[in-house]
Amino acid sequence: MELSDNSPKGRVIASGIIPFAFVVLLMVYIFGPGADLLDLGVPLPEITIEKVDFVDSEIQVTVRNTGPIPVEVVMADVNDRIQPAAVEPDRFLERYETTLVRIPFEWNKAEPYTVGITIEDGTRFEKEIEAAAPALDLTLDLAIFFAIIGTYVGIIPVMIGLLWLPFIKKISKQKYHFFLALTAGLLLFLAIDSIEEAIDVSNENLAGSFNGTLLVATVLVLSFLGLYYSGEKLVKKADSSKLTKPVAIALMISIGIGLHNFGEGLAIGAAVGLGSIAFSTFLIVGFALHNTTEGIAIAAPMSRGKLMIGKLAAMGMIAGAPAIFGAWVGGFVYSPFTSVIFLAVGAGAIFQVIIILMKWLREEGDKNFSSAPVVSGFAVGMLVMYLTSILV
Amino acid sequence: MALLLLVVALSVITVFPIISEAQSEQKTFLTHSGAVVQTSGEIIDPLYTISTVEFDPDEFLRNFEYGRISISESGQTIRDYTIIAEDDKIQEIAPGVFYNVWTFNGTVPGPTIRATEGDLLRIHFINNGSKEHTMHFHGIHPAGMDGVFEPVGGNGGQFVYEFEAGPVGVHPYHCHIMPLEEHIVHGLYGVFIVDPKEDRQPADEMVMVLNGFDTDFDTENNFYAANTIPFYYQHHPIQINTHELIRVYVVNMVEFDPINNLHLHGNLYKYYPTGTDLIPSFYTDMVTLSQTERGIMEFEYQYPGKYLFHAHKVEFSEKGWIGIFLVRDNPEKNMQEIEYGT
Repeated sequence: MELSDNSPKGRVIASGIIPFAFVVLLMVYIFGPGADLLDLGVPLPEITIEKVDFVDSEIQVTVRNTGPIPVEVVMADVNDRIQPAAVEPDRFLERYETTLVRIPFEWNKAEPYTVGITIEDGTRFEKEIEAAAPALDLTLDLAIFFAIIGTYVGIIPVMIGLLWLPFIKKISKQKYHFFLALTAGLLLFLAIDSIEEAIDVSNENLAGSFNGTLLVATVLVLSFLGLYYSGEKLVKKADSSKLTKPVAIALMISIGIGLHNFGEGLAIGAAVGLGSIAFSTFLIVGFALHNTTEGIAIAAPMSRGKLMIGKLAAMGMIAGAPAIFGAWVGGFVYSPFTSVIFLAVGAGAIFQVIIILMKWLREEGDKNFSSAPVVSGFAVGMLVMYLTSILV
Repeated sequence: MALLLLVVALSVITVFPIISEAQSEQKTFLTHSGAVVQTSGEIIDPLYTISTVEFDPDEFLRNFEYGRISISESGQTIRDYTIIAEDDKIQEIAPGVFYNVWTFNGTVPGPTIRATEGDLLRIHFINNGSKEHTMHFHGIHPAGMDGVFEPVGGNGGQFVYEFEAGPVGVHPYHCHIMPLEEHIVHGLYGVFIVDPKEDRQPADEMVMVLNGFDTDFDTENNFYAANTIPFYYQHHPIQINTHELIRVYVVNMVEFDPINNLHLHGNLYKYYPTGTDLIPSFYTDMVTLSQTERGIMEFEYQYPGKYLFHAHKVEFSEKGWIGIFLVRDNPEKNMQEIEYGT
């Protein structure tokens, strides 16, 4: 860029670039001649044991370098006893790189194990597994099993919830507002639930360097903004197209709930994967009851349009079917990082839906949220969700 | 529907790396229980990885330092030693594991100092470390030679420890600067053998310092060993002969854990606690040793073959304190004449 360019446009560009050039200079200085400035303190290596799988006569450990410097994986142990092991593809880990450590070990089902990995400076990192359970093999039977569970938890309850549609259709405007507010309450609960779950997963499984909570916040806001922007477009378009506004809102609710149900599927798949069958039974029953309320959330806005069975069923699928994918991913290829992302995206989507719902409620109603139906609907929504969540 | 596609795409992305893992060149290794495992990656194992670590336990095992010998006018044997302390060395103490060792004459343990009871020892101590260090010998000597109240400054500080060797037995020496635990666990220790004036029976003699390393500074040892390198003598068995007297000078320098012990397979040993008596106190295959507790073990194997020796505190043996005696047949049944104490 020629700084001497006198045209107004050139000046604008130059004035945009000059500060940037200084930033570059600043960086060049700190990494070049000024490197001594940063030469204080000792960078501590760090690895995170992200996943431990129990397979035939072998414990497989996924290790990620989550520190500021490259590390070398040099030793593996089980219960603090040194074991010969293999590292695939190799023991050298750059930042954020992962490797698989295979420790041949005759483990016993349901017993607790601590797996330790030592790096070249002698630092040992460990992870406790409460109960060893065989990793799930990717078989057709199991995939079908998860599909059935996902259907049971996701699709069927949502469809049942949708059956309230004729009921909501017939009630008075006041009561209808109650149901819309109830939906918002349900969704708010789900959003908080998703955030909590995402933060839990990141605290338990992700290294500090991922800044778990901020990762959740960032993804949530991005997802919210993305869906808010496209949602507005969808609603605007709805005015001129055959897609009516209630349908557009219901569609967005379904998408938000779908992302949320993906998270529920993950939880179920992971629980089955961990072998805690009793725990997963509770999850399945709990989620199934819980999710009927999600059907109401979709039905409420739809009740003001024409009855469109096909569209309604499609939305039920959008909201419910992700539970199947979630169960597959959770059971077969569980990755804490992807789970956190999905859960956060889901939370963002739900917040977006809540905003849309509130707006609609405001327009529909008397421009205020303090009417008895709205307040009580919101409160009942939260309460119902809380009570059904105790079952999980 | 776009959502479903997104979910499917993401699932595929998550699954794909697992499926696409290339199965290239295979390597093979054995597990502790003897199973054969194949890998396309690298093998990490202190036992089965053939590794040249910087310290050679085989060389240390049968090495005794008798000093520069001279005779005084009164006829007393004088042994002069030069011992240099350092504290900046990074050593590979197990395959791939690097640790800052503090050393006497460059090794952990330091050299095995050996003299006969009544000899005059002059230890010319030079501290080339960055911290203060001393040499504190267990045994009998004047207070000023105890290496406790006479810290020797780093970067070239000097001190001469001068005393008569005694009593008969096997003793440790170590640095005695505070914080003491830190100076010991980093490796500032060694063995001091005082022979009786009348020679012990000729034997194949060796020194075993039972030690450990806390490489992550959590006051728990990550590695244990006889002579520093974990699993070394399991991978490189100590070769001995049948019908030959074996004498092992054992010194326990493990910190943090209250006890250590030594169990011998297929045999029992005569045990001389601290080596101060010429008559054994026990005939056993198991002794328990506390910090700096030590003694002499004597045994002979009748049958050739491989025999383990290890801590029967199994945690220690599974972290490296384990070895093998490879007993070769000695058909002549005559003991090879090994000069005692030269």
